[in-house]
Amino acid sequence: MNTDLAKKQLERVRDEALRREVEFAEVRYAAANHSGLMLQDGRADRVGAGRRAGMGVRVLSAGAWGFGSTESLSESDWLSSLGDALDMARVTASRLEEPVVLPEAEAVTDDTTTSFDIDPTGVSLDRKLAAVRGYEEASAKRAGDSVANLMTGYNDARQVEIVCNTRGTLVSSETVRTLVWHAITAQDGDLRQRSRETRAGQAGFEIVERTPAQELSVKAADRAVSLLSAPPAPAGNFPAVFHPSIAGLLVHEALGHNIEADHVLAGQSILEGKLGSQVAADCITVVDDSDVPGSWGSYHYDSEGTPGRRRVLVEKGVLKGFLHSLETAGKMGVEPTGSARADGFSHRPIVRMSNTMILPGESSLGELIRDIDLGVLLQAGQWGYVWCEKGQYTCHAGEGIMVRNGQLAEQVRDVSVSGLVLATLANALAVSRDFELDMPGNCGKNGQGMPVNGGGPYIKVREIVVGGQA
Amino acid sequence: MDDLLRTAEIACDRAVKAGAEFADVLVERGRDLSVSVEKNAVDSTEARSTASVSVRAFVSGGTGWWSVSATSEANAEEAGLKAAELAKGAEPDPDFVSLVGPASYPEVAGLYDEKVASLSAPEVASWITQNIDSALSFASDAIVSGWAESSWRQAALVNSLGVKATEQATHASVSVQVVIRRNGDVGSFYEWDAARRLKDLEPGELGARAAAEAARYLRSRPIRTATLPVIFGPLAGRGLILGLCGAASAEDVQRKRSFLVGRRGDRIASEHLTLVDDPLIPGGLSSSPFDGDGFPHKQVTLVDGGILKTYLHSHYTANKSGEHNTGHATRVGIAPTNIRPKLGGRAAAELIGEVEEGIYVVLGNPSPDTASGQISALVDAGFKIEKGELTYPLQNTMVAGHALEMLARIDAISSDYRKEPGMVLPTIRVASARVASGEA
Repeated sequence: MNTDLAKKQLERVRDEALRREVEFAEVRYAAANHSGLMLQDGRADRVGAGRRAGMGVRVLSAGAWGFGSTESLSESDWLSSLGDALDMARVTASRLEEPVVLPEAEAVTDDTTTSFDIDPTGVSLDRKLAAVRGYEEASAKRAGDSVANLMTGYNDARQVEIVCNTRGTLVSSETVRTLVWHAITAQDGDLRQRSRETRAGQAGFEIVERTPAQELSVKAADRAVSLLSAPPAPAGNFPAVFHPSIAGLLVHEALGHNIEADHVLAGQSILEGKLGSQVAADCITVVDDSDVPGSWGSYHYDSEGTPGRRRVLVEKGVLKGFLHSLETAGKMGVEPTGSARADGFSHRPIVRMSNTMILPGESSLGELIRDIDLGVLLQAGQWGYVWCEKGQYTCHAGEGIMVRNGQLAEQVRDVSVSGLVLATLANALAVSRDFELDMPGNCGKNGQGMPVNGGGPYIKVREIVVGGQA
Repeated sequence: MDDLLRTAEIACDRAVKAGAEFADVLVERGRDLSVSVEKNAVDSTEARSTASVSVRAFVSGGTGWWSVSATSEANAEEAGLKAAELAKGAEPDPDFVSLVGPASYPEVAGLYDEKVASLSAPEVASWITQNIDSALSFASDAIVSGWAESSWRQAALVNSLGVKATEQATHASVSVQVVIRRNGDVGSFYEWDAARRLKDLEPGELGARAAAEAARYLRSRPIRTATLPVIFGPLAGRGLILGLCGAASAEDVQRKRSFLVGRRGDRIASEHLTLVDDPLIPGGLSSSPFDGDGFPHKQVTLVDGGILKTYLHSHYTANKSGEHNTGHATRVGIAPTNIRPKLGGRAAAELIGEVEEGIYVVLGNPSPDTASGQISALVDAGFKIEKGELTYPLQNTMVAGHALEMLARIDAISSDYRKEPGMVLPTIRVASARVASGEA
């Protein structure tokens, strides 16, 4: 379905919603064309592509939300989904604590596209294969006899989202994202270690052409092979320094989810009631910025048609604000932050992060570690999660490096850490001037996946629990 | 269902005409209703219709995939053609032998319940709203969130060798999270129930149970780092078992990225561990007559008295290694169905009662890394055991070790268990594991 046709059809469904006297309706068309391939053990034997498109409609009636969606592109099915949404709103109204009142917001009309140099849809399969094969060959050469398994993947997606609401907003956003990754399993006897590197961005095929194997597959190979001779991480409480990738995980998982206003209003955030309070050490300033050029988590407009922007959430340790949708902004009496994002057409917009980061400071890495007698530098962030209401989180690092007498010492493997968000942030002692925003991922919340990015400087914390074996 | 079969045949025929040597097609449609609750009130109610066609086409073993979120004949034709074109671009895979041939499928009762398929949104909403009341009746300061959902799905699977299979399924579930804040402290817990049939769903007192549990987690604290007995409760133990099953995927084993490479026939756990995978349990949450390749499902013993009896196979991996197909293909990989551990002879309370000092993990995911076998898991909810009693709740505590060592140290599996449709979830005791925590 082309954009003009989709807009006209959306407007007719919106007009029908107005005719049915809803307080607010938002009709969204979302479509994604995607392609991908995987090279495994020397063969690109799996190549795929596809298309997903449909419409989701959300109505606010008697202060209650209802939502309907369909993968059909016919106008009659869209109108039927509007009927579903109205029926669903009546169910919501049956057990409503407080009617939802949306804040005033200006109508926005705009068409945006992300910029890229090389349109991935115009790149031949052979060219994609050649690039991916180059990564694998470089890794195989580097790891030599230690290789147990190599996997290299490539994916691109062109997404279109059109938001049409009863306030007159009609915004279309076209986004191209491209991702390439390499994973190696290295082996020495019964010991296997896996390492993975990813490059991803709101970009075209140029992200592949500008990523040399040295920064992707060779980096992963070097780490996996060296981990084969590393001892297991220790268990216990240690002073720690987080690499920027771990800082990215920490700021996203530990702090970021607690700063989403829907969690706050639901009574599930440890930051409820702490606006204006010191929630972290004064070396910690946290920003969520949906406007970072080329970053995986960037966007021009959210799924409610509100422009995305840079938002300072914590400034010198003081909580300055939350991330908001129209609804949460209305409930808290503040401006929407353009943080309501929906995963395709079949989900309603909810509050999400974009590119979330801790800002850099003045120290060098050497200065951060020089007074640590025994601690650990955590690197190569992998994954994490948080229990928001308790503020208890865990992060897994691909590797650790012990710090002994102020110097980086031996590498350790199998490193997971856990902590309490506010204690960790209060125990932050210093941050480095070195900074990376390079932790692209697909964040899951309420059954919806969303591209986000995270990053920060090196961060020194007084202590953290390391879940090791030694 | 005939129209879904027809659509699948159109896509399959088109793929073959376009040059695919083999092709298989899954066509699905469904509808779901969901009701979400935040802070003791309904937040949103949603209705979704879904439909999709996915085609796998094979040329010299190379696979081309195409999926589209629509089921018209034109979409099916396009999907078949595109998948075949992609398969020609994929590189040959000499390990691919063939797709599954036609077979008769077992009857599996209780996968579809018209009572679930015809539920109204207000009926689904009542499952969660009654649990708001149930939680508040236990603790007036309970903060309840969660959701209830019901769904139905129809699917047709067709391949170029003559497989024609259809399936109807329903699903209903309720999940309730309760947060209790008192004097600057926080306790929380979640409970859930899920079923294929309405008669198997028991949403009644989830809220009260979650509230009672949440109150138990107030005043949590860290312990000293030590090597201790660790008892995994029914939900946490499931993570350990499913992680082991994931590493038993023949795809990961053949690709040499599993810690179970070369372990078939070996002892991988203590004699207390026997695991049977049974996809034929009536009304089981992971039951179905056939797998993602269209291969007939059957009961499989995965681990017998600690001995790894087989890997989990798809048709591709079974052909590749010349082993029997266990019927564990999904459309994107390999996965277990209803895993049922053999029960032990004593109740969970007895297993706890024998521990002088240890921890009891209620919630957490001690799933090993598939490649290394390493486990390093946060105790999301758990208790310190002292002198055979659960004492105080744990904070900021992790369990670590190698899966094979932890499995070898299983010294008891309980006789009592949490029962969910198709699932048997006993308590599992590990004689010792490294426990890291924040106490100075």
